[in-house]
Amino acid sequence: MHSDKKITREDTWRPADLRRHIREDGGGDERKHRGGESTERRRREEKDSRRERDKQKERESTRERRDEDERDRHADRRKEGSRDRRGDKERDRRDDRDREKRRERDRVVDGKRYDDDYKENRDRRRDKDEKHERERDKESHRYREKERERDGERRHEEEREKRREERDRERRREEREREHRTEKERRRHEVSGEGERDRIERHEREKRERHRERDRRKDENEDKRNGKERRERHGDRKNLELMEEREHKEEHRRHKDERERRHTERGYHDEKQKHDSESRALRDLKGTGEDVRRHRGDKERGEPDKHKERRRREEEEEEEQERNHHRDRTSSKNSASDKSRQKETKTEDAATVSEQQTTSVKDVGDTEEPVVNDEDLADPEYEDDFEKLDYEEDFEEMDESAGEGEDEKEEQRLQAGEEVEELTAQRRKEIEAIQRAMNEENERVGTAQSRQSGSREEEEDGPKWSRGTGSEKNQSRASQRGKFIDFMAAKQREVSKKVATKQKKRSTELLRLIDLDFSMTHSILDLPPVNEYEMYIRNFGAANTKQAYVQCNEDNADRDIQTEEIEMCEKWTQHPPEHKGACGDPNLSQEAGDKTANEANFDSKHLTAFLRPASQVMVVLLEEDRAESKSLRKLRSQTDALSFSDGSLQLNTKLPFLYGRSVSLVHFSQVQRHTMMSVHGPTTKPSAVRLDSCTIICIWNIWEPSRPQKVLVYESEVQCCCFSPGKSILVFAGTSVGSVVLWDLREHVGNHYRLKIGEDEWTLRQPTFSTDAVMAGSGHFSCVTSVEVVPSAVAGGLQSEVPLLASEEESSGLSFQLASLDESGVLNFWVVVELPKANEAGSPTDLGLRPGGKVKLLHSSSLLTAERVSPRDAAKTGPSQSLHLKFLPTDSNHFFIGTNMGLVNHGTSHGLKAPPKFYRFQEAGIRPVDISAIHFSPFVQHMFLVGCGDGSIRLHTVSQEQPVAEWKNSTDGEPVVSLQWAQTRPAVFCVLDGASNLHIWDLLKNDTEPVVTERIHSDRLTAMAVFGDSGQQNTYSGIALAHESGTIEMHYFTRSFTAPVPEEEEKLERMVTEAF
Amino acid sequence: MTDTDTYLIRPNHQHKFKPAIVKECIREIVRERLSGMQYDPEEVPELSRSLAETIKDKVKQSGFERYKLVVQVVIGEQRGQGVKMSSRCLWDADTDNYAEDVFMNDSLFCVVAVFGSYYY
Repeated sequence: MHSDKKITREDTWRPADLRRHIREDGGGDERKHRGGESTERRRREEKDSRRERDKQKERESTRERRDEDERDRHADRRKEGSRDRRGDKERDRRDDRDREKRRERDRVVDGKRYDDDYKENRDRRRDKDEKHERERDKESHRYREKERERDGERRHEEEREKRREERDRERRREEREREHRTEKERRRHEVSGEGERDRIERHEREKRERHRERDRRKDENEDKRNGKERRERHGDRKNLELMEEREHKEEHRRHKDERERRHTERGYHDEKQKHDSESRALRDLKGTGEDVRRHRGDKERGEPDKHKERRRREEEEEEEQERNHHRDRTSSKNSASDKSRQKETKTEDAATVSEQQTTSVKDVGDTEEPVVNDEDLADPEYEDDFEKLDYEEDFEEMDESAGEGEDEKEEQRLQAGEEVEELTAQRRKEIEAIQRAMNEENERVGTAQSRQSGSREEEEDGPKWSRGTGSEKNQSRASQRGKFIDFMAAKQREVSKKVATKQKKRSTELLRLIDLDFSMTHSILDLPPVNEYEMYIRNFGAANTKQAYVQCNEDNADRDIQTEEIEMCEKWTQHPPEHKGACGDPNLSQEAGDKTANEANFDSKHLTAFLRPASQVMVVLLEEDRAESKSLRKLRSQTDALSFSDGSLQLNTKLPFLYGRSVSLVHFSQVQRHTMMSVHGPTTKPSAVRLDSCTIICIWNIWEPSRPQKVLVYESEVQCCCFSPGKSILVFAGTSVGSVVLWDLREHVGNHYRLKIGEDEWTLRQPTFSTDAVMAGSGHFSCVTSVEVVPSAVAGGLQSEVPLLASEEESSGLSFQLASLDESGVLNFWVVVELPKANEAGSPTDLGLRPGGKVKLLHSSSLLTAERVSPRDAAKTGPSQSLHLKFLPTDSNHFFIGTNMGLVNHGTSHGLKAPPKFYRFQEAGIRPVDISAIHFSPFVQHMFLVGCGDGSIRLHTVSQEQPVAEWKNSTDGEPVVSLQWAQTRPAVFCVLDGASNLHIWDLLKNDTEPVVTERIHSDRLTAMAVFGDSGQQNTYSGIALAHESGTIEMHYFTRSFTAPVPEEEEKLERMVTEAF
Repeated sequence: MTDTDTYLIRPNHQHKFKPAIVKECIREIVRERLSGMQYDPEEVPELSRSLAETIKDKVKQSGFERYKLVVQVVIGEQRGQGVKMSSRCLWDADTDNYAEDVFMNDSLFCVVAVFGSYYY
């Protein structure tokens, strides 16, 4: 029955199941019979059955311990009821618990022993029941005391009545019959009054009769009460609690009836009663089928019918009350009579006596009740007190169970019928109302109880035990007062306690094995509040549409909202911002047209100021362009058949103002090697331009052959010229009229005379400074033959003053001296001075300076170099002429002057004279031979070549009077016109003779005659200049040839003359030293 | 004594409370019952009760043996208010677990939390 498996199942059961299970355990074999009955009903049945059992037990217990009880009663009477009651209750509970434990243990025992156990349990429970009884007794004692006080007289009367009754028993029999009849009548009246009530009544009666019938059968079998009861339970399970109650009541009554019938002399009463009941039973038997069916139907009607049932019960109770009311008197009489009978007659045997004793006891119990009921009837105010009513009910039940068996009661009931009749209708109604109220109360209590019992199991877990007891307390109290005596609850409590202890044990064992922990706080729902916009959309937006995008153009944020509209305005500016017109506004200029016109003139000056540096930048850029397009030029010059030439180009000299002029000089700048200057002498042929008598000097950029960069004009013939050192910004020239002039090439075009020839406009620059007639005392009085820049490099510590001056000059960008030599041998030194500011109006003191010019010459010193020519020699050779001036490149103190005596004089500008005094031919003596050219080697700077008018060429070193080498007939006697070292090869030099033959020497290849000799006869050469640049990566070298016709050709040397041979200088040096 | 001292302290793997499955149960039922529903204060108490019952039954069928289930159903009206719900349990984290699912429509939200507590 209680296997392990079952236990586990029990553990996992739901409360309802568990309850059922427990009940099954409690009910033992009941379980077998219980099919699909509703738990509620079952519970009720159970309760009822238990109540019945309890009642029986009560009875037994009372029988057994009557004396004790009585003693208790007396003792209790002294105590205060309520407190004791509570104490008892608690005791009860404790007892219950103990008993439950015990029972649980017992329950494990074999099922067969169950009945025995059950009995034991019952016995055990008897104690509890006794206590209940005692409580009730206490209550009843209280009433009884009152009652006794009040009804002392009444009792006497009653006793008297009893006696009278005894006497008039026969009469009373008749009366009873009458009563019976009246009762029937009453019933009939009731039927007529209330159909339903009647029906119920009848139904109940039928039930009762049926039970009675069955009981009779049982009685006949002489079963024990327990057995009977059990059988009843088995049999009548289907019936309502009411039925059962009644059944038991009736049963007991009948039982006693029978007993009494057997033992008492008043058998005929019983018989009559029996007849009555039998007749009822017969009736019942006839109508059983129907009625039962009807009854079942009622039952099945469920809840609403319950009400009816309740009403039925009410009525019954009413009846019973009435009955009791009668009974109380009769029973008291009876008890008295019984006692008297016991005392007086003592005819009965012991058994009967005992039985009678029980009955008497019951009578005593009964005597209590009637009083209560009397009270009930007497003071209706009391009836409002529901508790009291409850108690009454309890007593009633006891009564019903205990004392209803006696036939006297039947009589009493009949009597009561009389009295009921006597009662006014109003009274009855009152009673009914009371009954109803009572029942309502009962129901309430009942439901509360059931609910409590339902929830109890959960409550009774370990920690809540104390609370559970609290509720139980309530419950027990409630059950005490209700019709539902809480034996069921007690049972449940017991069982649940058991379960709880079991679970507690479990939990303690399990808690060792597991550990509980707080989980993290799980966020189940986090619903953020909807923002206002969404709310709005939801409430007022269109249904079934969702706005996915908002039309607020959020991405089109305008961050510049606070700034003003951008104003567009055109302005121009120009660099350098030298005056207010450096910037302007086109709109404004349109408005003020006059102003702009003025400004236009004004601007031109500044424009040139801007253009001057800009043009140089442009020149450099163009240079680079030229260098790149070199190969192109080579191709272009293929036509020329000059053997040394690697290509050539022709400068565009076909300019109107150059027409018919021959080139007398070609000169290259030593620094800006691409800058070339050509001197076009005055022409004899008349031309369109009025410049015939003037000498025109063109400044060329050899990369820009199309036109000369600058055109310089001078009124007389220019004999010699040179560039300023460093950048070619100044041009110096010596003229045939003995003046030294300079041009400042930086001067603005606008300041010069512009000549418009054809479409082109040419600016013809007049000299910036001229010594003409200005420095009469210090100038030249004869034709200036040579102008040379004194090199700033000063060797040795000889020149102490010059560097001081030079450094001063240097700071202003022009730091050099100029030397000019005239035919008479006067060597003038000039200091080139740049004025810080140009005077547009012209200088009042410096008349040689052109207005607006900034550079002028200051006469520094003058030297007469021709003095040394002895008069004897002069007489022999005519007046000495100084024809050529050169300075030693490494030491500007030394100058060399070529004379017409075939000698080159060597002098120093200051300090001691240095040997040799002059350089002569190899053979001694002076010959009237013009020195036509002197040229220092750009590589070996102490070596220079001297070309003579007789065609001989000498190579000198500075230190030697005699030449290193002298080539006398290399030009076939033709005078040397020009002689120059090549710029890129130390051992190469070019010679142009008077017969327009060009000789190119390469001393490494041949030191006796020129390597190349070109004879140009078609257009005679009038001048030539060698150019080249070896220092840069772009090595080039060439020769500029000026023809008679005025054309200038630029020939690039072939590679053999351009590319330097390794160790060339050393070889040249060796050759020179070998020569000595 | 009939009590044996052996306890099943851990559920079998296949009987373990699996939130994913439970969640699916909840989702299914709640979707079925609540989709298109309008919040009605009159019927919501009954609705939530019956939902809880249905979910409980459904979860029971999922075979989480020896699990005691607590189903909490909260249905609230949605009127744009913020709602925050959280739970905290004292339990055995090894065996016990919970699953929750939220259903929402325009007029109501329903939060169902099922707590499974292992009965040792």
